[in-house]
Amino acid sequence: MSVQDPASTPKQTNSAATSPALRLGIIGCGAITNGAHLPAALSSPHIQLTALSDTDEARLRSTQLRFGLGSAGCADYRDTFERIDAAILALPNHLHAPIGCDLLSRGIHVLCEKPLAMSTKECEQLCRAAQDGGSILAVGYVTRFFPSTVLTKRLLATGFLGSLKSFDYEFGAAGGWAPLSGYNLARATSGGGVLVVSGSHFIDRMLYLFEDVQLRKFADDSHGGVEANCLAEVSCSLGDMRFPGRITLSKTHPLANRLRVTGEKGVLEIREGESSYVTFLPSLEETRHQITASAESAGPVEEDYFKVQLEDFVRAIFGGGRPKIDGREGSNSVVFMDQCYEIATRLDEPWVFSPLDRLRTAMPSETPASSSSQLTEAEVG
Amino acid sequence: MSTSIPLVLITGATGFIGSRLCEVMSFLGGFQPRAFIHSTASAARIARLPLEFVTGDLCDRASVEKAIQGCSAVVHLARGDKQVMRNGLENVLRAAAKHHVSRFVHVSSVAVYGNSPPPGSVSESAPAKRTDNAYGNEKLEQELLVLRYSRTCSLPTVILRPPNVYGPYSPFTLGLVGKLRSGKLALVDGGQNPCNLVYVDNLVQALLLSIWKKDAVSEIFFVTDAETITWERSLQDMAHALGLSLPRVERQELAQEPKKHVLRESLRVLPRVLLSGELRSVVRQVPLIHSMENSLYRAFQALSPETQEGIRLRINGPPRLHQKGETPSRFDAADNVIAAQNRRVAHSSAKARRLLGYTAPISYQQGMCLTEAWMRSARIL
Repeated sequence: MSVQDPASTPKQTNSAATSPALRLGIIGCGAITNGAHLPAALSSPHIQLTALSDTDEARLRSTQLRFGLGSAGCADYRDTFERIDAAILALPNHLHAPIGCDLLSRGIHVLCEKPLAMSTKECEQLCRAAQDGGSILAVGYVTRFFPSTVLTKRLLATGFLGSLKSFDYEFGAAGGWAPLSGYNLARATSGGGVLVVSGSHFIDRMLYLFEDVQLRKFADDSHGGVEANCLAEVSCSLGDMRFPGRITLSKTHPLANRLRVTGEKGVLEIREGESSYVTFLPSLEETRHQITASAESAGPVEEDYFKVQLEDFVRAIFGGGRPKIDGREGSNSVVFMDQCYEIATRLDEPWVFSPLDRLRTAMPSETPASSSSQLTEAEVG
Repeated sequence: MSTSIPLVLITGATGFIGSRLCEVMSFLGGFQPRAFIHSTASAARIARLPLEFVTGDLCDRASVEKAIQGCSAVVHLARGDKQVMRNGLENVLRAAAKHHVSRFVHVSSVAVYGNSPPPGSVSESAPAKRTDNAYGNEKLEQELLVLRYSRTCSLPTVILRPPNVYGPYSPFTLGLVGKLRSGKLALVDGGQNPCNLVYVDNLVQALLLSIWKKDAVSEIFFVTDAETITWERSLQDMAHALGLSLPRVERQELAQEPKKHVLRESLRVLPRVLLSGELRSVVRQVPLIHSMENSLYRAFQALSPETQEGIRLRINGPPRLHQKGETPSRFDAADNVIAAQNRRVAHSSAKARRLLGYTAPISYQQGMCLTEAWMRSARIL
């Protein structure tokens, strides 16, 4: 399906339950839009893509070319208002709240990329705007749609592991995701570092899987920028069980990339990104058992969970229900991340600090008066 | 950030030397680094700092011009393909000359002397010429380009030639770890030749001094650790940290790569490539070839088993059998760490000490302790 000429498409009401397709705009043509949202939208029979927006015109054109999309691209998202009933917001994090509120208050439904916003306060603004505008606000925590996530919840809740003792989650890779805008390099535009960029998916899942999650400790390696490594310790419960949990995240080195929940009967391991099965390692046995979410084995082509997420959003709009992760639920992970940064202490990095005193002598004893000054020893020494 | 602090453009700022230089500058405050980065994906380490980032491509003159605005000095650490090494460097040199920066520090390598450095290369005055080391040749071309700009444009340049740079995040260190763990690295002939090492912070000290020391201009410096460490000590220490034993071999036991006769070798390999499953699976998409392949296969099957075996033997060559009791060496003479153990020269940083005031403040033992602390944190140990 291609981008439609907006002039030929009348604006629908937000409760257009009879409409076969939702007029959708995608705001932001970065990596996630090109890699996930556009393919999902273009393959869904319930979507009529009517607008595409990015302030970077070269990026907009390149996206249009790549997907064979014609007209209806615009630099200013406000030019999409008349053409869309709903929007996917795939912008740098600091733009989620101002642009999301603008859309929601006009009655335009929003599926917002994770995290919902930069702070608890911004999340509240977005939820209020959705309420006032009578619009649906969904948050793009796509891994919640994985059958493995739902299966894990069911296994834990039904006592599959017996009494729970602890959980340990780690995710790390050197490099990785490279947002085209570079918003991830500054707290002002990302809201945080590895915790927000890599960790928010798990934090959302953790809050879904466990109850009464209380943050005990958080340490990171930020020195005025965004952290590349962090460690969080929590205490949580499930039924009448209370147990500790540990989260380790890194953007500088690889980690095991899995969640392990330890109970009296063994360990449940869920590999990061694995959508279809979980692995059970029974206590006192050298065996591993894969448990799939469905009796049917997964087919050769994996489900497009961005499409599943988008169709859940469409169902909520046409059906009048709530999306799987609505604004309120999506806010919870932001509240947790806010708490982390509030109590943050510094990770121990002796290789960073202990040599500094010995390097001080390499600095000029005085610095020149202006940045354009010459730096020769004669002038600074 | 104060504008009175001299602004230094750092290319290759996301590499392990560039990242550490940014860190030290940021913590000590004598210089204000402006990090030139190519991909935001690899910038996690320096994004921890409150730095100024400029995203661009060194091969694009406009982005280099933009990046250098207001800078007093440039430290060129960027590496990449031939385009980046040549055109990228020239773009930076041109912009630096145009903007009259007071210092251009270029990081080269002792590899300019090739795989068998001459005895005279104890000091930098030994002439470097093209050798069989491709990387060294590229670095030599770069040096010549830098010297040309120094001569013709009066650009105040400094060239540093570090040897193996070790420490946190070092590719050399990680390479040793990988090779020791895979069992492909051994100590050759007792490993009594010098390893030629510099701890990353010692190199950073030399870089900082090169930016402002008057006597540095137009000079080339080796930058090494204070102590001369043998390969035996270096590899033993690393193997010990990893809990591994270090194999010892004599040079004649190494697996020698046979001399290649390009034409004869190509003719020998060609039939195997043409008949490989990978190639056939691609070309059989052409219906004509698919039909020819079927006919050829049927014709081959019609041959006697002896004839079939004879054809297979001609294509694959005779099976490589070893004499009873003989095991092929798993240590490759061409491996760069094994080959480097044959170099007898210890490059001296006496000139850097004399003219720059370089002190190599981190001893080998301290450097290894800090490296091990990082390796534990990064789950390498």
